[in-house]
Amino acid sequence: MERERIRNFCIIAHIDHGKSTLADRFLEITETVPRQKMADQYLDRMELERERGITIKAQAVRMRYTLDPDGEYRLNLIDTPGHVDFSYEVSRSLAACEGAILLVDAAQGVEAQTVGNAYLAVEAGLTIIPVVNKIDLPVADPEGTAMEVADLLGIDPGEVMRISAKTGEGVEELLRTVIRRVPPPAGDAGRPLRALVFDSAYDTYRGVVAFLRVVEGRVTRGAKVSFMATGTKAEVDEVGYFSPEMTSCPELGTGDVGYIITGVKDVGLIKVGDTVTERERPAAEPLPGYREPKPMVFAGIYPVDSDDFQELEDALGKLKLNDAALTYTRESSRALGFGFRCGFLGLLHMEIVQERLEREYGLDLVVTAPNVVYEVVKRNGEVVYVHNPSDLPDLSAVREIREPYVQATILSPPDYVGAVLELVKERRGVYQDMSYLSSRRVELRCRLPLAEMVVDFYDQLKSRSRGYASLDYEHIGFLPGDLVKLDVLINGEPVDALSSIVERSRAHEYGKRITRRLRELIPRQLFDVPIQAAVGSRVVARETIKARRKDVLAKCYGGDVTRKKKLLERQKEGKKRMKMVGKVEIPQEAFISALRMSREERAR
Amino acid sequence: MRLYLHWPFCVRRCHYCDFTSRVAGVNTWRAYASALRKELEMWSGILPRNRELRSVYMGGGTPSTMSGSEVSGLLQLTRRLFGWKPEVEISVEVNPASWGRSDYADARRGGVNRVSIGAQAMDDRVLFLLGRAHDAHAVSRAVSYARSAGIPSVSLDLLYALPREWGAVFPETLQRALDLEPHHISLYALTLSRATRLGRMAENGLINLPGEDEVADEYLEAREMLLSAGYLQYEISNFSLPGHECRHNLAYWRREDYLGVGAGAHSFLMGHRFRNPDSVLEYCRTLHSGGLPLQDLTPIDAQEAHWERIMLGLRMSRGIPERLLAGEEALDLMVVHGLMERRSGRVRLTERGMLLSNAVLVSLLDA
Repeated sequence: MERERIRNFCIIAHIDHGKSTLADRFLEITETVPRQKMADQYLDRMELERERGITIKAQAVRMRYTLDPDGEYRLNLIDTPGHVDFSYEVSRSLAACEGAILLVDAAQGVEAQTVGNAYLAVEAGLTIIPVVNKIDLPVADPEGTAMEVADLLGIDPGEVMRISAKTGEGVEELLRTVIRRVPPPAGDAGRPLRALVFDSAYDTYRGVVAFLRVVEGRVTRGAKVSFMATGTKAEVDEVGYFSPEMTSCPELGTGDVGYIITGVKDVGLIKVGDTVTERERPAAEPLPGYREPKPMVFAGIYPVDSDDFQELEDALGKLKLNDAALTYTRESSRALGFGFRCGFLGLLHMEIVQERLEREYGLDLVVTAPNVVYEVVKRNGEVVYVHNPSDLPDLSAVREIREPYVQATILSPPDYVGAVLELVKERRGVYQDMSYLSSRRVELRCRLPLAEMVVDFYDQLKSRSRGYASLDYEHIGFLPGDLVKLDVLINGEPVDALSSIVERSRAHEYGKRITRRLRELIPRQLFDVPIQAAVGSRVVARETIKARRKDVLAKCYGGDVTRKKKLLERQKEGKKRMKMVGKVEIPQEAFISALRMSREERAR
Repeated sequence: MRLYLHWPFCVRRCHYCDFTSRVAGVNTWRAYASALRKELEMWSGILPRNRELRSVYMGGGTPSTMSGSEVSGLLQLTRRLFGWKPEVEISVEVNPASWGRSDYADARRGGVNRVSIGAQAMDDRVLFLLGRAHDAHAVSRAVSYARSAGIPSVSLDLLYALPREWGAVFPETLQRALDLEPHHISLYALTLSRATRLGRMAENGLINLPGEDEVADEYLEAREMLLSAGYLQYEISNFSLPGHECRHNLAYWRREDYLGVGAGAHSFLMGHRFRNPDSVLEYCRTLHSGGLPLQDLTPIDAQEAHWERIMLGLRMSRGIPERLLAGEEALDLMVVHGLMERRSGRVRLTERGMLLSNAVLVSLLDA
C-alpha cells in the first residue's frame, strides 16, 4: 500500500478514561475482529492487565477502513502504556506515530499524566486530535472538559470532539477525522533501512517478537539485519503485522508498522528504542532517542521456602525474557537466606512482577521494603551505586549520599492545593510554582526525592484530594541529602532485610515506630529480647520483648507419658517452621508481617 | 512393680474436665468393677513371680464414688494376686463430699495409707463455679476424717490460674489449705480445653483467664508460701513435708515399671508402653470375652528411653545426671538464660525453668 494511505496513531489517555473501549470500537467498525469474537478490550492481552485495568505492553493493530470516495486506508493503532513507570515506553510508542488521539473522560477532566503525555506527543511533532469521552454519563461535563482540553492545547473548544466509546456515538466520525487530520508517514523508501523498535514481546517457541515502525527503506523476509545500539545481528525469519492476530506478509514498507521475528531468544539483545538496519546497506545514523532502561526502584525478592530458590531464579529468567526493564542479581540475606535484588522502573512495575511471579509461577514470596538507588560518593572520591540499604558503606568512609529526585507535576482542583502542598512538604518536596490550567484545575510543580514517591505518595495524594489530584513525574538525577542507614537489631543481631535509608531527622521517629511494631509481632522467647533501631552504633529507639513466663504441662494423668511426648513433638514441629534470627525464633508469618509492616512504616 | 487402678466414674462432671470420666449408673459401675477384677486376675497369671507391689494408686474419675469398703475389697484383691511390699504406698483420690467417717476407716483397714483429696478451691462460690460437687467445709471435714481414721499421709489438690472475675485470690486459698496441715499439696494450673464448659465460656469471652505473667506470678508466690511453711518441692506441681512425697507419682518420672488397670489406663512394663481403650464399654466387653484390652503397644528403644529420662527426670527437683545431656549445646544456653542449673554432677530446672519446662524440653529435643 502506498505511504499516503497509511495512518499511524495512538491513543493518549489516563487510566480508566476509556482507551481500551475506544480501541475495541475501532476494531469493530473496521471489522478487524468479527463482532462475535470481540472479547471486551481485545488489546489488553494479558489476564493480569485485564484484572488491573491497565495496559503494560504496547501493541500495534492494523485496520482497514474505506473512506468514500477516496478508497481504502491502512490504520495502524499503536497502544501505549498508561502509567508513569513506563514513560520511556510511551515516548517510543509516540515516536512510531504521526498522530495521537488525546482522550479525556468527560466526568473526570484532564489528569496530570494526560498532560504529561500530551506534551510528549506535541514535542514528538504529532498531530493531536482532542476528544472528550463518556459523554453518555449522567455526571459528564463535556463542555467544561472540552474547555480544559482546549486550554491545555491552546485551541478552540469547538475543535474538541465529543464521543462515547461505550455507546459508539461519534466513534466512526473520529476514525474519519484521524484519516483526514493525521498526516501520512514521511520517509524515503529508497534509503537504507531504519526501523524503530518500539516494543517487544516474547514467544516461547519463536523467541523475541520485535515491534517495528519502518521509518526509511523496507524490511523483507530473509533480510540480514542488525540492531544498531546492541550490535545484535540476525536474519529476518518472518515479517508481519497484527490484525489483531499475527499475520505474516512479505515485507513492511516505509511508514508501515508491524513485527519481525529473527530467532533471537534474548529480549536483552533487542531493546526498545533501538534501530534496525540492513547489514548489506547499513544506515549511517541510528534513529534518535534510544535509552537504556534504568531501574530506579529496588527490592529484595526471596522465596518463603528456601527450597524454592531455583524455581524463583527460573521464573525471573522467564519474566525477564518479556520484560527487558527488569533486572535481578543474586543476593543473600542473613534473615531471609538466598534471593534476588530486583530492579524495577517503578512501584507499579514491581507490583506487576511480584504478582506475576506469584500467580504465573505459584511462588510464595517475601518482598522487602522497596528502596531507590543511591549514589554514594566516598571520601576517596569513588562513586558507588547502592541498591540495597545494607550495602551502604560505613558512614565514616562516605563523603556524600545522593538520592534520585523527580520533577513532579500535580494537577488538583484549587480546593485541595493546600492539602497537596502539605503532603509535598511532608515528603521532603520542594515547591516550585503553580499555575491555573482552568478555573477548576491548578497545575503545581515541585521536586521530590524518588524515595518518597516509591512508598505511598500516589495513594496519599489521591486520598488527601478525595481522588481528584493526579500526578506525573520525570527523573531529574541525583541530589545530595542528609541520609543515614537505620539498622534494626533483634537481640543484638542486625536484621539486614529490615535496614533502610532514611533522612537523619526522621530516623528517631521511624525507629520508634518500627521497634514498637516488632515488639508486638515477635512472640515472647525464653529470654528477654531487645529490639533496637540504630544509626551506626547509636541506638535511636529501643523496645524489649519480655521473656516468656509459663509453658508447662501440669499433670501427667495416670502415667500417660505418651501424650506428653506427643505434645512436645508437636511443639518441636512448630519450632521447625520458625525463622531464626540469631537465637530468636520468629514464626514465618510474623517475619513476613514484619517486612510488610516495615514497608507500611516507610510509607508514613 | 507399681499398680495404677483407674475408676472413671464421677457423680457429676466438673466444668473444666475433659478427662476420661463418666457419669453412669450403678449397674455400669458393677460391670466395670467386675471387669477390673478380671483384668487384675489375668495380669496376675501373666506377670513373673517377683512382682510385689511397691505402690498402688487408685485414680479417676472419682474412686471415692465407691464406698470405703469396696475400695478395700479391690485393694485386698491386689494384695492376694500380686503381694505387697512391706513399705507399700497405697493412695486413693477422694472427692471431699464422697466419704463419711466410716469410709475412711474402712479404707484404712483395707490398706490405704495415703489419700489425695480433690479440694481444688477453698471458697464455696468458686467451687460452685467450677462445677464441683462439694463446698469448702467438706474439704476440712474430709481432712479430719482421714486423720482420725489414722491415714498417715493426706494430700490436697488445688487449682490456680482461675478466671479473674471469680475474685479468688490464690494465696488466700492456699493459706486456708495450709491451715488444714496437709502432708502434701499439688498445684495445678487450670487448663481448659474447648470441649469443656468453661473452655467454651472462655472462648466466648464470658470469663477471662489470667495472662501468662499473672499465672507465673501466682505460681511463684504459692511456691514461696509453701517453702516457708516447711514444704519441699519435689516436682513441678508437687510439694510435701519431708518423707511425704508421693512415691507412686515419682515412679512415673523415674521410669519404673507400672501396670495400669482399667479403662484408659497406661502402663510401662519391661520396656514397653501400652494402654487400655478409653471406652468403658469396649474395655468391659473385651475382658468379658476373655481378652486383655491392651492397645498401642510400643517398645521403647534406647534413644527413646534416653529422651524419656531427660523429659521425665527434669520434672523432678533433683533433676537428672548431667551426663544425660553431655555435649548438649542447648544446655549451656538454658543455664545462661537461668532456666537450668548444674549442681554436683546433676542438672535441674530452676524455678523459672520449671514454669517453662515445655519450652526448655523442646529446646533440648531440638538439638
